[in-house]
Amino acid sequence: MSGFDYHRPESLEDAFRLKSEQPDARFIAGGTDVMVRIREGRLRPPALISLSRVQELSGIRHGDEIQIGAMTRVAELLRDEELGRSAPVLALAARTLGGMQIRNLATVGGNLCNASPCADTAPPLLVLDARVVVRSPGSERELPLADFFVAPGETRIGEGEIVSELRFRRPHMRTRATFFKKSRVRMDIAIASLAVRVDMDGKRCVAARLAAGSVAPRPMRLPRAEALLEGRDITAELLDELGTVAAAEVQPMTDVRSTEAYRRHVIGVFARRALAQLSGLEEAR
Amino acid sequence: MTSELRFEVNGEPVQVEVKAGARLIDVLRNALGLLGTKEGCGNGECGACTVLFDGRPVNACLVPAMEAEGAKVTTVEGLVGPGGALGPVQRAFVEKGGIQCGFCSPGMVMATEALLRDRPDPSDAEIRSALVGNLCRCTGYVQIVESVQLAAKLRSENGGSRG
Amino acid sequence: MEAAVAERRHIGKEVPRPDAADKAAGRAAYVQDLARPGMLYGKVKFSEHAHARIKHIDTSRAKRLPGVRAVITAYDTPEVRIGFLRDNFALKRDKVRSLRDEVAAVAAIDPDIAREAIDLITVEYEPLPSVFSPEEALAEGAPLIHEVDARGKRVTTNRLPLEYHHTSGDLAAGERAAKYIAEGEFSTPLIQQSCMGTAGCIAELDVAGNLTMWAKTQIPFLAQKDFVRALEAMGLGDRNARVIVPTLGGGFGTGLDTHAYEYISILLAHRTGRPVKMLYTREEEFACLSPRQSAESRIVQGCDAEGRLTFRRAYVMQDNGAYASWGATYPTVMLLPVTSIYRVPNIQFDADLAYTNNTYAQAMRGYGNPEVAFGIESTLDELAEQAGIDPFEIRMKNRNEPGETTPMGLRITTCGLGECLEETAKHLDWKNKRGHAKRRRGVGMASLIHVGGSGRIYRSDGGGVILKLDDFGNVNVSYGGVEMGQGLHSALCLGVAEALGVKPDKVFINQTDTGTCPWDVGTHASRGAFIALNAATRAYEKVRKRLFALAAELFPAEVEANLKKHRRKNPDYQPPDYDVRAHSRADNFELADSVLTLKDAPDEPWLKVDLARFLRAVHFRGQQGQMITEEAFYEPKSELPDWAKGVGNMSATYAFGVQGCEVEVDEHTGEVRILKMVCAHDVGQILNRQTLLGQVYGGLAQGIGFALYEQVQTREGRILNPSFTDYKIPTIAELDFPIHVHFVETEDDQGPFGAKGVGEPGMVPTAPALANAIYDAVGVRIRDLPITPEKIVAALGEKRG
Repeated sequence: MSGFDYHRPESLEDAFRLKSEQPDARFIAGGTDVMVRIREGRLRPPALISLSRVQELSGIRHGDEIQIGAMTRVAELLRDEELGRSAPVLALAARTLGGMQIRNLATVGGNLCNASPCADTAPPLLVLDARVVVRSPGSERELPLADFFVAPGETRIGEGEIVSELRFRRPHMRTRATFFKKSRVRMDIAIASLAVRVDMDGKRCVAARLAAGSVAPRPMRLPRAEALLEGRDITAELLDELGTVAAAEVQPMTDVRSTEAYRRHVIGVFARRALAQLSGLEEAR
Repeated sequence: MTSELRFEVNGEPVQVEVKAGARLIDVLRNALGLLGTKEGCGNGECGACTVLFDGRPVNACLVPAMEAEGAKVTTVEGLVGPGGALGPVQRAFVEKGGIQCGFCSPGMVMATEALLRDRPDPSDAEIRSALVGNLCRCTGYVQIVESVQLAAKLRSENGGSRG
Repeated sequence: MEAAVAERRHIGKEVPRPDAADKAAGRAAYVQDLARPGMLYGKVKFSEHAHARIKHIDTSRAKRLPGVRAVITAYDTPEVRIGFLRDNFALKRDKVRSLRDEVAAVAAIDPDIAREAIDLITVEYEPLPSVFSPEEALAEGAPLIHEVDARGKRVTTNRLPLEYHHTSGDLAAGERAAKYIAEGEFSTPLIQQSCMGTAGCIAELDVAGNLTMWAKTQIPFLAQKDFVRALEAMGLGDRNARVIVPTLGGGFGTGLDTHAYEYISILLAHRTGRPVKMLYTREEEFACLSPRQSAESRIVQGCDAEGRLTFRRAYVMQDNGAYASWGATYPTVMLLPVTSIYRVPNIQFDADLAYTNNTYAQAMRGYGNPEVAFGIESTLDELAEQAGIDPFEIRMKNRNEPGETTPMGLRITTCGLGECLEETAKHLDWKNKRGHAKRRRGVGMASLIHVGGSGRIYRSDGGGVILKLDDFGNVNVSYGGVEMGQGLHSALCLGVAEALGVKPDKVFINQTDTGTCPWDVGTHASRGAFIALNAATRAYEKVRKRLFALAAELFPAEVEANLKKHRRKNPDYQPPDYDVRAHSRADNFELADSVLTLKDAPDEPWLKVDLARFLRAVHFRGQQGQMITEEAFYEPKSELPDWAKGVGNMSATYAFGVQGCEVEVDEHTGEVRILKMVCAHDVGQILNRQTLLGQVYGGLAQGIGFALYEQVQTREGRILNPSFTDYKIPTIAELDFPIHVHFVETEDDQGPFGAKGVGEPGMVPTAPALANAIYDAVGVRIRDLPITPEKIVAALGEKRG
């Protein structure tokens, strides 16, 4: 690695100033993606601006709305007991991200901005209806996470913008959610993942959110599967139909990790299992 | 272009000149001559470079060197006491056959140290979960799990200290 | 000579290894950690095409980069031919034949500059049509990978000029006698050995041109031979090459050949006049260091109505890649399971190998045995099903027994296969669990035969040991094989301590160094402890003989001095009536725990002489002083087979074993969960129980990776998954099931203390045991590894129609 500048600003203002002084400088969060790409020679930035000390990006705040600073390390997410109570699906997914060493470095913001279709934090945040807060010099905007991803490696943040926070409404107590991830070995990038969140009224599904990872160019919601469920009683027949609809809705590909056919198949299996588990229906085998 | 980096390694303050693009593992091995931390992949996949960073286990190959400014880092050398006395985790790995070629061992030992500081009496599942980021090609992991279990016992006999 | 089993002090117990403490402390020095004064860093430039003519290499920009001390290509260095068929070159000239071909190299003052310089080298290629499978390579009109052979003779086919055949008995009669026949086509992929420490070396030449190589090798002496030859090619004839082996970060077969990068390092060292260190990154290790050989096989077996095997046919086709290395000799080891696992009177074996533009392959644990064991043990279960016989019963019925000679000519002396089968069945609760697919659970087993007393593949299969005693009573042991984590040093240390009669902490194993150690063919074929300890036995017998002969002269004086001292402290002491001088005969001495005594002497402390003190008495004798150093060279009782006929008793003894497992298959996701594993191994004699278990567990883990997770994926010669991100070896989480290990100690008379080699067997039967268990669980049989959830789901879908 050739020598270059490394900055550690302590405020967003300083971070933006450094970027304007060196437009080709690259922001770095946990480093787990950026450092790999630098080492592989795929990235050769003349300077790095570390966000690890920027005040505005840290911390988890609880209330009617949960706010997670973008620089929150994945391990911090797991240690936050209140988060574990209010939105356990996020912890379920975070626990599958890498091993403990990676989780101590990787950040939630970084995981999303890297925009891999396989990002483990994306499906749970999608079912939590999370919004992304984006800061630029002198301004702030918010957009739904569902609109955040454009393509692998590409998001809607512009050059010089920084994701500062994730926000979502605290789910009410009746909400149930789960997360399944299929990978080859235990520490691995997902072959297919699915987060499911439902509000049940007895056997009736009042609201449903399904979000899948690794089965499309972006982490994606499954609106057709959701529409199939909302307002319906959960039965074995409906679950079978759900599996078919969910499998058809995703757009997986074949790559070194798995095949299109298998990924599609597994999403269907996960959708049925998740709903069977969350609705209390024993899955017919 | 170099910068000055000041941090603490194994309880000692250090000051080194680093190329600003260097990684923590480069500083430890090249600038400080602490060769115990091994580079197995450079990608954060194998865990051979595990060190404690402000008490938390991280892959030294993924940490930009300058991030260590002001931090307290512990490497495998730091677990060895005066006169070469191995710490309890190291003793346990020796005792239970958790070491074959040994290349993964420093990282394995550090990950175990991190686990036991957090969970002094881990279950089998907790051990496997904590060490999932440490690859070993020689042992098949069985004697590694046994080493961790003995390490837990030895540490509790020591009063929970790492000495 | 050797203490009876019950009296053994060290052998057979669980003993921590002597090298573990330094490894735990981070003090062990691997090639990654070594440096030499004035050292430069080397880096290789690899081909950008799978098959192309080299039109031009421009190194001018690289040479001008500050910090670069040399840039070399085949065009400005002497030609160095490598490989056992001499079909490869350190640096490629005229054409490249695969994407990992080495076309240029750089030496610079630091690794970053070296890397930058590599990018500044431009190569102009003229792409050629390429072939990526044996079928393509052997089709008419296929482009030739090699146009001439090593002698310059024109080549007209991509088929390698290697003949592997075996015919025994009467195949036609065997087929006629078969009531049931099972046949299958099987494939095993390229597998990355995945040592945690990557490949590397330091090459250093002295002013006269003698080479010292610190090498990550398993064959220091054969490497020495290769390097001497290279020096000759470089105009440095009659020079010496010395190979020193640092602590190894794994081996598994990667060190059984010499590699282009090693010769390139020598060329760079020669060019610059400075030591050159070359280290592969993990990506280079995956993409540019040869993986385990892949294989396609067709296996046919038949049995009579009672389940007795009547014939076996095996045909293997191997994609050899661009150059020949040890992957091309896997068929020599495949002969073992093909001809000799179970009693089969009529055998046919043939293998073909084709050059392609894929990467070439090298050795890995098991070396061809797991590849065909997969097909043999899978079709055996199919036969059992056809015949209505339980798979455990069919194995018992056909098992090898001591005293037999197999069709290959292997003389089975000790054989614990029967007990291994029974133990496996017992611990799996076989009778209750087999054939109960209701809960998607199943059990399966498979057996193994492997060489247990080395495997003769070269005109010498020997190894020597030097034992050097010093004034402190230490025993310094020099052996020319390598410790790569398998526990060789521990075995050697304990074996010497046990049989010589010294304390283990007085035994030190010297670094493997061709300059100081006796010749050894290499640490492969699970032979390390077998050879080293057999040589050590002969050496310590010499030591004891000399010691005791000297003791006959010198012991009485030492004892008299002891007695005087004892009497000074205890003036009233009355010694027993025992004439030390009269009893001091060579045949009346014993050495135990580093103390010399007379066998029939009363148990008095002054009648014991500490070995160190005695050795000083031997040394400091004026004109008659001596130092005790003894050596012995051991050749195992075995034959070099005729490979074209596939016949020869290639090992001094054979290892047997069985692995069995219980699995649960999720029919929806295709995931296989291992519930229990049983490993039963005939090991001859346990040397160090702890390191032995380590070898079984380690082999098993690699077997599981081979069976379920691992595959080097390629497309048009490019490796698609050259990192641990996408080449997944088992993590600690994948091995979370109980493993029951049972050792059978058949006490082989050729083995040191009765022990057989055990490094490889752990990996051999794992894949078929799993495949058989999966079939029992859900009724699908996967014949190409790895057995992934994708394949199981697809097979289940097909089965449902």
